[in-house]
Amino acid sequence: MNIRLFSTTAFRLTIVYAALFSLFSAVTLGFIYWSLRDEIESQVDARLRLETDFLVNLYTSGALNELLDAIQQRNRVDTYGRFYFLESEGSEITDSTEQEWPLRIKSVRTHSTKPMAEVVDLPADSPRANLPVRVAQTQFSDGLKLTIGHETSDEKALLDYTFTLVMGATVITLLFALAGGIVMSASVLRRIASVDKTAGEIMNGAMSRRIPVTDRRDEFDAIAVKINQMLTRIEDLMESMQQVTNNVAHDLRSPLTRLRNRLEVTLLENRSDDEYRDTIESSIGEADGMIQTFNAMLSIARLEAGLDKTEWQHVAIGDLAAELAELYSAVAEDAGLVFVENIETNPVFYGNRHLLAQAITNLLDNAVKYTTEGGRVGIHVSGNDKHFDITVTDNGPGIPREERERVLQRFVRLENERKSPGNGLGLSLVQAVVRMHGAELRLADNRPGLIVSLDFHGRAIDAVAA
Amino acid sequence: MRILLVEDDIEAASYLVKGLNEIGHAVDHADDGESGLSYAKTNAYDAMVIDRMMPRKDGLSMIEDLRRGGDNTPVLILSALDDVDERVTGLRAGGDDYLTKPYSLNELHARLQALSRRAQPENAVTTLRVADLTLDLLKHKVTRAGININLQPREFRLLEYLMRHTGQVVTRSMLLENVWDYHFDPQTNVIDVQISRLRSKIDKDFEQPLLHTVRGAGYKLVEG
Repeated sequence: MNIRLFSTTAFRLTIVYAALFSLFSAVTLGFIYWSLRDEIESQVDARLRLETDFLVNLYTSGALNELLDAIQQRNRVDTYGRFYFLESEGSEITDSTEQEWPLRIKSVRTHSTKPMAEVVDLPADSPRANLPVRVAQTQFSDGLKLTIGHETSDEKALLDYTFTLVMGATVITLLFALAGGIVMSASVLRRIASVDKTAGEIMNGAMSRRIPVTDRRDEFDAIAVKINQMLTRIEDLMESMQQVTNNVAHDLRSPLTRLRNRLEVTLLENRSDDEYRDTIESSIGEADGMIQTFNAMLSIARLEAGLDKTEWQHVAIGDLAAELAELYSAVAEDAGLVFVENIETNPVFYGNRHLLAQAITNLLDNAVKYTTEGGRVGIHVSGNDKHFDITVTDNGPGIPREERERVLQRFVRLENERKSPGNGLGLSLVQAVVRMHGAELRLADNRPGLIVSLDFHGRAIDAVAA
Repeated sequence: MRILLVEDDIEAASYLVKGLNEIGHAVDHADDGESGLSYAKTNAYDAMVIDRMMPRKDGLSMIEDLRRGGDNTPVLILSALDDVDERVTGLRAGGDDYLTKPYSLNELHARLQALSRRAQPENAVTTLRVADLTLDLLKHKVTRAGININLQPREFRLLEYLMRHTGQVVTRSMLLENVWDYHFDPQTNVIDVQISRLRSKIDKDFEQPLLHTVRGAGYKLVEG
């Protein structure tokens, strides 16, 4: 799959991030710009104040003529940057007839910056009309008004240049933020693309593929590890289902063949009603057997998948064992066996009562089935809530040490039990139940016979989650 | 009994209808939940047998609709899903019993009998009686012909269940489910052994046996 850069979340985030970053830097630079402007203005004002103070001093010392001289001289010398203007009650005192500059002052507000054309009358085509002028106006006590103007084009030029710098810097920041964002999202996208590629391969059947994990141990690796674990679990489940399918194919074929042959043979000749009845009855029996095998296989597969967790509850193990002992002691007695019930404790365990009951039942079934008359069959519960054992013992033929691993697999039946009924799934089911409860199954020698112990530790729910 | 069968597998349904007819029941067959509901609305049935998984409207939602509409006809759910969780879901939806496919006709019939009996209002009985056998639920006492019979607690519950279903066939798995609360079948004939113990206590010393074995099906407690 081709991930298009501009439509990705990573890129959208980049844009937002770049915009925010540029905005912040524009605000900062703007602050610098405004501060600079204020500083320049106050410097110009300070100069204006200095001039005003000097001229006011001249006036207060009583030398009006000297003041006028000073003003005219200044106007003459300083024609470019500054102009001076003295008026009395609206009429102009300064003699400005012999010079072109300044012409006539318009109304001004003191300490403000205006274009030249607004402050004084200029010829319409004057090139100075738009130059900024800073003006200071002082009112003397006897109606005289002194106006000093200072042209600030140099300062304005500096400010304009600063403004250009600020704008430029903002644009450059935006560009850098974008470029950085694209580089970063590209690296994120590369890692996402590798997950995407693996997912695609798995969908196409390569179940054993895994997402590459780097040694950076970042959040991508954390997710990759989790997904890989999930994939392993799924693969295990699929394998287990596959195995069930194979088992069904293999182990239901023979009884189905038997059933079919029996029915065919019965149809070959005319037979008596009793013979037909026998055939039908034994066929039903065969079908029931297959159903049992089938159900047991499904149960085991489901248990191994660990999917049933809803019907869990606190189970009093001693009570459950006693209940089953009651059922099986009667069976054992009828079969001429000695039944030994030794339930020392009654640990409470969080688990599935039905499955635990079924597991113990399977063990007792086996014990009773394989022990011959005069033998002993026993159930034993010991331990506490944290750690307890359920043990079923018998005096049957036992299981040779080298076979103990094998009998826990599905459909494994030992040579000497071929003739007794059974599907070879009993112990596999016990094993599955025990495992899903986080417990362990142990087989040992009872000299003679078999000891099956189920070792449970603490809370099963923790063991399963781990 | 008049029975409504809701099952989408036409062939399975036809066997079932034939079998139930031969036993003596009248059976209507609907092949999906929708038509099942309309049958249930227009007729009164003694019991319904509803398949869990069907096209259009599945069994569970049909049962939920029935119950919401105030119909309390006993319902037996048929399901290919054999799992304690599934059973619980089925019963919570309003089913009264749950039978996993494949099942035997005997099993289905026995359970239907038990269900239709359960549907009748059960007065607060304190004493159950079958012929000269008496079971006192309050005093936990069993007598036959005036003679005290000592039963273990579990035997008492076994006998109580049998007496509550007098005249009906009760299967081994029904006993395992209702008396022991086990929803699986042990390989060993544990129930047979328990029944024979019970029989030796209530029947052995008396002329008239009450507890009978029904071949290929289960047990039946009958009067005389």
